[in-house]
Amino acid sequence: MGSFLVRNGLILALLVLVPTFVGEFWAYQLGLYFLYALAAMGVGLTWGQAGILPLGQGMFVALSAYTAAYGLSGIGTSPLAFVVIPAAALGVALFGFLFSTVVFRGHSDRGPSFSLITLALTLAAFQIATTWSSVTGGFNGLRNIPGLPGLDGFLDLYYLIAVVLGLSIAFVDYLLRAPLGALWRAIADNERRLAFLGYDVAALKAVAFAVACWLAGLAGALYAPQQNLVTPDLAGFAFSGDLVIFAAVGGRATVLGPVIGAIVVGVLSAELRDRFPWWEIVIALFFIVVVLRLPGGLMTLFAPLERLRLARGQTPRASRAPDKPRAAAPLSVGFEDVRVRMGDVTILDGLSVKTGDEAVLCLIGPNGAGKTSALNVMTGALPKRGGRILIDGVDVLRPEPAAVARSGVGRKFQTPSVFPKLTIDENLAIALWSGRWRGFDLLRPSLFGWTTPLLDEMRRRFGFLGSGGKAASDLSHGERQILELTMALITEPRLLLLDEPCAGLSHEETAQVIDAIQWARQSLNLRIIIIEHDMELVRRLADRVVVLHQGRFLADGSVEEVQGNPDVRAVYVGGSR
Amino acid sequence: MESLLVTQAINVVYEVLILAVLVLGLAVVMGLLNVLNIAHGEFVMLGAYTAYTVQKAGFPYLAAVPAAAVVCGVIGLLVERFLIRPLRYDPFETLLATWGLGLLLRKLVELVFGRGFRSVDIPIGGSVSIFGEAYPTYRLVLMAIAVVVVVALFVWYARAATGARIRAMVGNPVLAEAVGIRTRQLARNTFVAGTAWAGIAGVMIAPLTPVEPFMGLTLIVNSFFALVVGGMGTVTGLFAGSTIIGGLQSVLSASVSPTTAYLAMLILSILFLWQRPRGLFPRP
Amino acid sequence: MSEPALFEIDHVSGGYGSGLVVRDVSLTVGRGEAVCLLGRNGVGKSTLVRLACGFLAAAAGTVRMAGADITGQPPSDNLGVGLTYCPQERVVFDDLTVAENLTLMRADRRLDGFDRYFQVFPRLTERRRQHAGTLSGGEKKLLSFVRGLAEGSAMVVIDEPSEGVQFENVVRMADLIAARKAGGTAFLVVEQNLTLVERIADRIVIMDHGEIVYTGAAGDVARDEILSHLTV
Repeated sequence: MGSFLVRNGLILALLVLVPTFVGEFWAYQLGLYFLYALAAMGVGLTWGQAGILPLGQGMFVALSAYTAAYGLSGIGTSPLAFVVIPAAALGVALFGFLFSTVVFRGHSDRGPSFSLITLALTLAAFQIATTWSSVTGGFNGLRNIPGLPGLDGFLDLYYLIAVVLGLSIAFVDYLLRAPLGALWRAIADNERRLAFLGYDVAALKAVAFAVACWLAGLAGALYAPQQNLVTPDLAGFAFSGDLVIFAAVGGRATVLGPVIGAIVVGVLSAELRDRFPWWEIVIALFFIVVVLRLPGGLMTLFAPLERLRLARGQTPRASRAPDKPRAAAPLSVGFEDVRVRMGDVTILDGLSVKTGDEAVLCLIGPNGAGKTSALNVMTGALPKRGGRILIDGVDVLRPEPAAVARSGVGRKFQTPSVFPKLTIDENLAIALWSGRWRGFDLLRPSLFGWTTPLLDEMRRRFGFLGSGGKAASDLSHGERQILELTMALITEPRLLLLDEPCAGLSHEETAQVIDAIQWARQSLNLRIIIIEHDMELVRRLADRVVVLHQGRFLADGSVEEVQGNPDVRAVYVGGSR
Repeated sequence: MESLLVTQAINVVYEVLILAVLVLGLAVVMGLLNVLNIAHGEFVMLGAYTAYTVQKAGFPYLAAVPAAAVVCGVIGLLVERFLIRPLRYDPFETLLATWGLGLLLRKLVELVFGRGFRSVDIPIGGSVSIFGEAYPTYRLVLMAIAVVVVVALFVWYARAATGARIRAMVGNPVLAEAVGIRTRQLARNTFVAGTAWAGIAGVMIAPLTPVEPFMGLTLIVNSFFALVVGGMGTVTGLFAGSTIIGGLQSVLSASVSPTTAYLAMLILSILFLWQRPRGLFPRP
Repeated sequence: MSEPALFEIDHVSGGYGSGLVVRDVSLTVGRGEAVCLLGRNGVGKSTLVRLACGFLAAAAGTVRMAGADITGQPPSDNLGVGLTYCPQERVVFDDLTVAENLTLMRADRRLDGFDRYFQVFPRLTERRRQHAGTLSGGEKKLLSFVRGLAEGSAMVVIDEPSEGVQFENVVRMADLIAARKAGGTAFLVVEQNLTLVERIADRIVIMDHGEIVYTGAAGDVARDEILSHLTV
């Protein structure tokens, strides 16, 4: 906490002291770039953290600016005028939240669709702003917007803007270090994994976008009294593009990057644009270089400074995480004549099988039998074309990954699926928070200290989990498998789906994992479904074995029964007739 | 009255065909290679400026065609080598990189030619009488060329050996390598063909539109969203997109207002991006 | 007897990302010989073959074709050195017709040279104008097999040729392979199904956990021994 106050206090002080160094005129100019910096910070936040690139943020700045213009003209000199600023920003933020929620729930493929939608929206906004003259003043915009009451001269407004910028920087800084920030970075890293941990990814993305719109809204609302003029240019393609460039050039993954980008590029452009016609070519080239080679932007040049900022100081105090409600019984699953097709290929051809009393069920079968597909269709990763899937006796019509996870299903994928750019501790924390956080918990850094006896036990068994500050991408393949298994276990699921948990593990690691699974089975009231090819593992763990073949149920029983079954042997090896 | 309707109908067909010609280069690059080349409009712009330069230098207009192909082809080659390939043909990254490229090209052209509008003389003047109304000959010529080109391309893509290899590479890049297709070179050549064609499209439209550095920006919007709606990677998609977007623009522009047409096109595109991002007839 | 091997995989290791799926594997295939690579799912057979044919970068080791080092060369160069590869998945070009799949890389783009294959697999002739994506899984494997043999390479690597293929056609595939072997073509075949293996294998190599656990002449190994490594 201390370092947070020091850091942001210094920035605020710096911002406020600027006019003493550069004089009144420059303070006025800088005011404008500070507003650009606010909007650029929003772009940096959604893009650099959550991986969502908004190509039309200008529209939100413009919307807020026009609203504030009307508000200020209407209210005049009463002190109530100051309320207009946050009100306009809040309105825009709400609009942004609703809009992005609708979009993010609309289609499941990530792609650049959202970026293109925001681009189309801003183009439309520009068109409307230019032609709806009665409301927007058309091409020439709204003029003679009154300033804020009591603030006379260039300096007063500058101080207001500087304070707003300083506070906003602190706000974003806080968010990025809070659990919410970690979740945003997780979205950019491995969205599917986050959904399978039970998080509402669309809502998280919408929150990020809403914050960006709040910042854009502040920028727009302050723009109106600062410039006393609002034109459609704010909604234009060019301005939105500039915001992306500020964020990229400055360094989108950091708090200060977009601020520095906006100020440096903005100021230099204004000064040099007329003197050196090729200045904008330099900017364009630098932007291309940033995209190709330097994703960290200018901030990478200040890397030592950044390390200073990012050092967390103290590790958060360890505390016991809230308990999850104790499950009455493990989850039961039933497939009734389930069919799945992908194009022309039949993947599941009327699969009917039900879990019974067994604690560990091993699912085996030759290539293409449909084992992983069965797990996929149950958890909503594949659409079902026919039949019923019953979870705890209830027909789940259209399973959806996050909902299935919240009902108590934990999943470990075939190829290790963790958050590679995040640290081991962050990976574990995100898994731990799932289903346990309430209300505004995601804004409390103390959540990073949560732990449970189960997690302690896993840390004891697997020493490498103790190097919490290591990035997950630095782990070996085997360690990543174990990390993912741990993440699935600490959510305390009622049903644990393990897809080849020991693939690629050394013999020692395999033994450790088998031990851990057996321990989990005894200490937690859960059912485990394991897809495996390694018969050694199946022998040691399985209470019941189910054999699939060509998308259908073939046989089941104990390990010995299945091994002795002639149909099973035939299916695995073929052989002469 | 009838003759006016006929002229209007021809106009709609004209708008659709011209859009198809403009979108073609992007359809190749975006539909086949998944590269979001938002600088596509700038390649068209470069083609238009090449046409202007060629005409100014006194050469026959037809010479602008190979000239533009070379100019845009060479730039396309450099872009593929230094932007697209290092970014591994990733749609998101190439969108960003080509945004920067677009800025760069616009500024360079502005430096060399200035910001003002240049006009290119129509190479085939005069008009043809259709149902009593005079219709510009050049437009009819362009329409004919557009039809020939799109049909020829369709046939070539479906029948020719290289067309089959492109289809193979696009559908199954691993197997394509296995059977001996040099996918790196084929992808590069396909990209360059896309940019070269954009240049030729620029030559075609240069006499009919004000030539200025920012002309690409208006073009890219229509082209991009025509593909979004029509679907990427198929010739049917190209036709469908051009017809819907071009037709909508043309009809609404004439009957209501250009602004309404533009807004309608944007709203339609947003709806598609939201619900059906792959378009009507995407590559399977 | 000391004729140099045509295709050599020499101490090759590799995998996907950071994991090593194949560990230090060496095997050779000589002219006119068919080596069958067996093992359960997930032991690394397909990965080994992808490493050997250049579709995956090897972390260690060398691959040689007729004595020349081909490690790391782009897979499109394989045909040039006489190496054909038929993958396990996505075995044909779904968007192209059967005929186009076969004639794609031929200069004359005609089906004339394929008559002897069409006689063995008349189904393919019937479907020659259909898009390959509409074929059944077994038919796609047949198409891929014919394409591979027709390339006329000295070394043919096939990953699970008989998956989904009817017994009668598997026998015919075995006959075609035997005929080519007699002419000197070498084969490396990954298989889980013994029908084909029993008919064509000269040598058998069994993998488990990314390593070779058994290698020997086909006649030397008892069926039960093989089964013990393969079944549940």
